[in-house]
Amino acid sequence: MTVDFLAAKLNLEPVCCPNPQKEVTGAYIGDLLSWVMGRAKAGDAWLTIMSNINIVAVAALADTALIILTEGVTVDEKTAETALSKGVNIFTSQEPAYETAVKISQLL
Amino acid sequence: MKELSLNILDIAGNSVKAGATCVQITITETDETFLLVFKDDGCGMTKEQVENVTDPFFTTRTTRNVGLGIPFLKLAAEQTGGSFSIESATAREHPENHGTTTTALFNKNSIDFTPLGDVISTVTTLIMGSPGIDWRFTHTYGEKEVCIDTAEIRAVLGDGVPLDSYEVIEWIKSSLEEEYDSFYNN
Repeated sequence: MTVDFLAAKLNLEPVCCPNPQKEVTGAYIGDLLSWVMGRAKAGDAWLTIMSNINIVAVAALADTALIILTEGVTVDEKTAETALSKGVNIFTSQEPAYETAVKISQLL
Repeated sequence: MKELSLNILDIAGNSVKAGATCVQITITETDETFLLVFKDDGCGMTKEQVENVTDPFFTTRTTRNVGLGIPFLKLAAEQTGGSFSIESATAREHPENHGTTTTALFNKNSIDFTPLGDVISTVTTLIMGSPGIDWRFTHTYGEKEVCIDTAEIRAVLGDGVPLDSYEVIEWIKSSLEEEYDSFYNN
């Protein structure tokens, strides 16, 4: 499924979505960025509560389909701008990571 | 990173790449704080490089356009309520006294403080990887101290003995283990 389809189904709030047609093929939950960098797979929806600019770099390196900031976490303007320029999709979910991941699992 | 020792390995690698001949890694602990300082005499960074070094999309590497060593260390320090800074002087502008000093201050009592982890492996890995560099590693906590100085070791062994030989590395490792044993147990 595509990122925009997933976002619509889960009522995710967009932070920035430069790449709405990217395919989502799985999900990964993690907040320790160096750990996520080596383990999240290309095409994963990455669920995290981390919101500093480094998440954009990790998502770009791991080639995740999108970042979902869970539990209503928001990012600052610079992070959003960088994500937009690097082609990294970011959305916010009001729900915790587990509930969000369960819903993704049902759609895959 | 799960251990600060991995951050140390990563950041010290920058000093190696900067062509440093002497790298000092100093940890100074109190009951509340953990101060980590890297000081090298490498080629240094320009003002523009220093300003951008905490930006993950700024890197000197050419294979990919993302560098996360410094951003991760800064994040690790700041998430404990600590701080991070870098000062540098380029060899071009300061031919007599150039290099980079990187400082990370952690609040040890923060729940998000990353444990130091296996720093002995980090130190021996650095020495093995670049045996020609003078490595000086010091870790103090009040009166207690752990210290290894490869310039001193080299002076004792003479130039004929490479520091990356198995026997020397094993000796450094057991020496650090012994020092850390009394560091943590007394």
